[in-house]
Amino acid sequence: MRSTRNTFVSLCLVLFGLLLMPLTLKAEEVGEYIAIRKTGASRIAIVLDKTAAKGDKESAWANSLNATIKGGLDFTGLFNLMSAPLNIRNSQDGTLNLASIASVGGDIYAGGSVTKKSGKPVLEMQVFDASGKSLLRRNYSGEESQLRAIGLRFCADLVELLTGKRSVFGTKIVFISNRTGNKEVYMCDFDGENVVQLTNSRSISLTPTVSSDGNYLAWMDYTSGRPNLYIKNLATGAKVSVNKHGVCISPAWRPGTNTLVTTLSYQGDQDLYLIRADGTVERRLTKGGGIDVSPSFSPDGSKMAFVSTRQGGPHVFIQDMNSGQVRRLTYSGTYNTQPSWSPNGDKILYSSMQKSGEINIFSIGADGSGLLQLTSGSRNNEYPSWSPDGSMIVFSSTRDGKRKLYVMNADGTNQKPLLRMEGEQQQPSWSVNK
Amino acid sequence: MRHTLAGVIGAAIIILAGGCSSKKAASTSDAAGSGYGSGKGGGSGVDVENLDQRGGRGTVIGDVFFDFDSSALSPEAQEQLKQNAAWMQKNSYTSVTIEGHCDERGTDEYNIALGERRAEAAQNYLINLGVSNNRLSTVSYGEEKPFDTGNNEEAWAKNRRDHFVTK
Repeated sequence: MRSTRNTFVSLCLVLFGLLLMPLTLKAEEVGEYIAIRKTGASRIAIVLDKTAAKGDKESAWANSLNATIKGGLDFTGLFNLMSAPLNIRNSQDGTLNLASIASVGGDIYAGGSVTKKSGKPVLEMQVFDASGKSLLRRNYSGEESQLRAIGLRFCADLVELLTGKRSVFGTKIVFISNRTGNKEVYMCDFDGENVVQLTNSRSISLTPTVSSDGNYLAWMDYTSGRPNLYIKNLATGAKVSVNKHGVCISPAWRPGTNTLVTTLSYQGDQDLYLIRADGTVERRLTKGGGIDVSPSFSPDGSKMAFVSTRQGGPHVFIQDMNSGQVRRLTYSGTYNTQPSWSPNGDKILYSSMQKSGEINIFSIGADGSGLLQLTSGSRNNEYPSWSPDGSMIVFSSTRDGKRKLYVMNADGTNQKPLLRMEGEQQQPSWSVNK
Repeated sequence: MRHTLAGVIGAAIIILAGGCSSKKAASTSDAAGSGYGSGKGGGSGVDVENLDQRGGRGTVIGDVFFDFDSSALSPEAQEQLKQNAAWMQKNSYTSVTIEGHCDERGTDEYNIALGERRAEAAQNYLINLGVSNNRLSTVSYGEEKPFDTGNNEEAWAKNRRDHFVTK
């Protein structure tokens, strides 16, 4: 029994190690490109051409790359994807007829070819704007097994080129699923692909979260008979626990550090404590006044949003980490929990239980202004978590019955399921990929 | 050793709970002989009467219920806790784990904190009634272990509870 479990854990570690291995992808720059920035909420109309290929092998690669690139760009919600018009190439010499882009309403053209070099795929991509100006021309190469990574690397470059910002491509999401009958920690790619089970506690595992450098996973489970916090070094597999009497709830890593904040109750009230990666307590951050839970940090780590019942029902408060000063953030509603501070620093998401009984996700400025409701009329929407680039939000919802994971754009548009998986999924946390 | 004893008691309780309508002799010897490997051997059966005195769990020492998002003890809750305290004083060799539970509404992490406050409210009340602190422990399950999985107030009201597990 024990050896089966150890084998399983080892296997998970190996699989996870493989995921963490740096890709030997090369993005070779062939020409200069100019970052253009689109302002406003409208989508970028992009003509996405089919990847050209000669030979059976290359054609199969091209099909795979087309699906990856189309799926990747579509996932971001940034693009209005258009097929290439019939007259995209001049009939005489096969050169690109860039005037046809504007004629179908496209802003941008992206296309290229895949060839075989020493048995390995080389993707050459070109991007033009509607005036015919070349924005990007690059080669992407790697192993055949890395076709998805090759396609996504181009997607990442394209988004960065057109928005001037990082993208979701290459990021990971950790979450809880009861697929095996027990709640365990899982990890998947930004788009729900490549699901890997990370724990086999056969108990109740909850609230997983990865440190800002991608080195540590923290979560809580009931293997010791009570809710205890565990911190695992993802590279070495070494695991420590925070052995304190009472509860240990909802850890959040402080950005740029290997410390986290979690709720402990060993000194009476459910208060927030700063914990080192070795599981020891650095200092107590809040004291008394009922429940303090669900911390989330500003991107510079200087401020912490959290939930407190110090003024009655649960509301979101913000504490300055240096001065200890606290101010209340939410005044609308009577039950506001699960704050998530945006990577840009300007907004905080939270979930609010409304009079109807529905739980919905709201966005509010870190200064308390600009309250915006992002979900509605779809039962319980909980546990919002920002993508590391700040463009998207992952959350759980019971809109289709069972609790499942969904994503939406930062403004609440483009809501869609993240992954197809048996059982219930909950408590997603979006993180960088090391 | 502890495990074996717990197993025997567990077996007896399962038999008690599941086999009330069947004849005692047949069902007890079957289970004790095959399933639980009791040190007494298959033929000796289980002393049902003795186990009954140890407290039919969850009946003598009953659950305590709460309002939504509250860990305050209602008059009914206090009445039940008085009965629970009286039982514990009569059965001085037992210790009790108080499990704090919540309904599925509200959010998961908050409910784990709320469940702990519910368990602690009962613990403090029992201590004030004279039950020794070292016979009591608490654990919060938040909304993870509902008694009734329904999605209505009737089910939720049953789930907002402290459950007492004797050992």
